[in-house]
Amino acid sequence: MAAQPVLEARGISKHYGGIVALDNVDLTLEEGEVLAVVGDNGAGKSTLIKALTGAIPRTSGTIRFDGKEAHIETPTDAKAAGIETVYQDLALVNEIPITQNVFLGREIVRDDWLGRLFGVLDFKKMDREIRDLFAKLDIRITDIYRDAQAFSGGQRQAVALSKTVMFGKRVAILDEPTAALGVRESQMAMDLVRSLKDHGLSVIMITHNMQHVLNYCDRVMVLRLGKLTAVRKVSDVDGDTLVGLITGTIEGDVRDE
Amino acid sequence: MSDTQNSSTAVSNPGATSRTFERITHEFMHIWQVIAALVLIYLVFFVLSPPFRSFDTMLSIFGQASILAVLACGTTVVLISGGLDLSVGSIFAVVGVSVGILLSEVDLPVWLAVLGGLGIGAGLGALNGIVQVATGVPAFIVTLGGLTAYKGLAEILASGRDLSRFPDAFQVIGSGYIVPMAIMFAAAILTGLFLTKTRLGIRAFAIGGNEDVARLAGVPVKRSRIYYYMVGGALAALAAIMEVAKLNFAMPARGQSYELFAIAAVVIGGTSLFGGRGGVGKTLIGMLIMQTITVGLSYMGVGTSYQRIAIGIIIIVAVYWDVWRRSTR
Repeated sequence: MAAQPVLEARGISKHYGGIVALDNVDLTLEEGEVLAVVGDNGAGKSTLIKALTGAIPRTSGTIRFDGKEAHIETPTDAKAAGIETVYQDLALVNEIPITQNVFLGREIVRDDWLGRLFGVLDFKKMDREIRDLFAKLDIRITDIYRDAQAFSGGQRQAVALSKTVMFGKRVAILDEPTAALGVRESQMAMDLVRSLKDHGLSVIMITHNMQHVLNYCDRVMVLRLGKLTAVRKVSDVDGDTLVGLITGTIEGDVRDE
Repeated sequence: MSDTQNSSTAVSNPGATSRTFERITHEFMHIWQVIAALVLIYLVFFVLSPPFRSFDTMLSIFGQASILAVLACGTTVVLISGGLDLSVGSIFAVVGVSVGILLSEVDLPVWLAVLGGLGIGAGLGALNGIVQVATGVPAFIVTLGGLTAYKGLAEILASGRDLSRFPDAFQVIGSGYIVPMAIMFAAAILTGLFLTKTRLGIRAFAIGGNEDVARLAGVPVKRSRIYYYMVGGALAALAAIMEVAKLNFAMPARGQSYELFAIAAVVIGGTSLFGGRGGVGKTLIGMLIMQTITVGLSYMGVGTSYQRIAIGIIIIVAVYWDVWRRSTR
């Protein structure tokens, strides 16, 4: 691990009035790794991700990206830095086609006066890029003009994950990518997550599935009651230990400085 | 029904044949159901009422629909984006009176008065949007306030003024059936192109479908909303200009309840009241259904009050139909 981390967050806290949802959490993401974030319900996993990507304002904490101080205050800042996030339940708009979902917020306008003056879109170019992307990731969706709600949970997740390859230049953050999926679909989604590495992405992934942590991730950080309690290499840990750390029956070893 | 359609889909995508087929026929069926309803209603009056059977009647249905249809195109945009504008009838009144003043007192050239009117409409629409995104007060309340406030503004502007007898060049805009129909189709086509071909337009469907997803995807939701209300206001202004030109006078009482007729036409056409789905083609058909019923009933000697009851029932039937359709999806 000679290379510097892609993402380095220090002292991330989030208070809602008097309630401390996230208390002084540090996070380091190394280049090309898949980092799992685990913890019980209410442990602060989603809050951590939202605070990292500017979806909610942080109470305190600093973020360094590629060793430099990064000002990530809104989701747009995060995207500009090369961080692409797939939110649970908030990944796709049901009512619009797959094509429009993939490019939502980053539609390509025509390279002529119609595009510059009226924002007329270059549908041909966007369709071509989506077909190339799906071919590259082996996503077998051909009818890209159908509304998102017509697809299965697994297909929808595949589309959402494909956006991280299309736009996430450095980091993909995934909030429970297999939450709503069946066994076979989960496996397909996780294979896709692992392939994100090959496309130059480092991955942070929230999950409840210990098998996915052990089979697909490189390191794991455990949150409990808003605090970071342990960080482990996956090769140094087993499922029982992880469950113990999550529930608190095994004492963590990360202390406040 | 159409096996050819099914098999051609199968060639392009063997995996999802039946669902694609279902989906295509679903959308296709819906617009055809609305068109079929229009034709059916037309035929009923055609059979029941001999004077209804002329080409002139058909033309007058289009002609009478045109002004409200232009306004309803704007309502379509706002509803697709998940918004609501109850104040367009009052924007209509303000613009009518303003254009009247610009023409008869300020003596502006016709084109400049028209542009001024469109600008005022867009501005008042934008104000609705700005107040909403700045305060977080729901669209229903903000535009209900606008409905009253803009109406008062129109009355203040008009008080003590005789706004009539406009230049011939202006009256052309509202004369006969052909010019208003041409304006209606032009407005509908431009609005349709806006909604389906431009970045801001297609984002209306995303924002109306799921605002949170759109925001997290980087869509400037607040700014976009203000634009949709501007479009709605500008089209209400165009409708007002058409009516002032047609009547050759302007008064603040015009435009009353137009927002409700527009919403009714949009909903009858099949655009969702809850955002994310719809289109101006549907709205035009919805408006024609309403006008056909109104004209047909009056040909049969049914009074205005009974016509209103009929329209009210049809609005409820249309929404019930939409809800039923969704539940069986």
